Amino acid sequence: MAEQVVFVIAAAGALISGVLVVTLENAFRATVALIVTLVSVAVIFLLLAAPFVAVIQIIVYAGAIVVLFLFVIAYLGERSPPGMEDRLAPYQPFAWIVVIALVGQAGIMLANSDLPGLRDEPQATGDIGSPEAVGRAFIDDYIVPFEATSAILLVAAIAAVLLAKRAIKFEGGR
Amino acid sequence: MSGVPLIWYLLLSFGLFGLGLLGVMRRRNPLLMLLAVELMLNSANIALVGFARHWDNTDGQIFALVVMAVAAAEVVIGLGLVVAVFRQRLALNVDEMSSLKG
Repeated sequence: MAEQVVFVIAAAGALISGVLVVTLENAFRATVALIVTLVSVAVIFLLLAAPFVAVIQIIVYAGAIVVLFLFVIAYLGERSPPGMEDRLAPYQPFAWIVVIALVGQAGIMLANSDLPGLRDEPQATGDIGSPEAVGRAFIDDYIVPFEATSAILLVAAIAAVLLAKRAIKFEGGR
Repeated sequence: MSGVPLIWYLLLSFGLFGLGLLGVMRRRNPLLMLLAVELMLNSANIALVGFARHWDNTDGQIFALVVMAVAAAEVVIGLGLVVAVFRQRLALNVDEMSSLKG
């Protein structure tokens, strides 16, 4: 029962703050709402016997990524484009249709699914979420994806430096 | 001890994904679109970790961690592009960014 109460609270927090992320006009406030979503998702990870992923969620997402967003928003200022007409506004109902159709299809698929144990109490699990278990899985079975991820991060860092350098050259070295 | 069935986690994942998709299609500010993309990535992570719990297996959590690393790289590139566009005094609207010539 306690787990279900925690799940309902965390899921409600994630969905409500998710709605705020999508609807708030102020970029700064939307980012702060995203922090609430990320922390709620970290609580969900804790419920799912994945404490390591939950901690990484807090450190990397709520720590690094959101701070990066906030830095960029602070750098750009509160300049919202005034008087810009939205050329795609007439097509917004189609966005709603696509989203409702997709989520509806997923719900119908879930309702008709006969996956064993989908609606039952979860079985007790062994040690699947500790740093030791995750580390062993990375080193034993997933060493190639691990290295590919580090290559992606390296390429992203180089690309960020190149983007910044080119922008400086355009401005005459400011 | 009464746990939470897998289907609840999957429904939460679908809800968050729908919200993120709606945000990407409705927003025209690239910063806010990136925020919505983060929502979609998180919903996928919930599904991955939920199935890892369901099958008593660490593999789904490995996927989730790789997704987080890719999300970090994506945010760095995306925000770098946003700042580069801003420095050229262009409006932050994805509909206006239709020219590839620098």
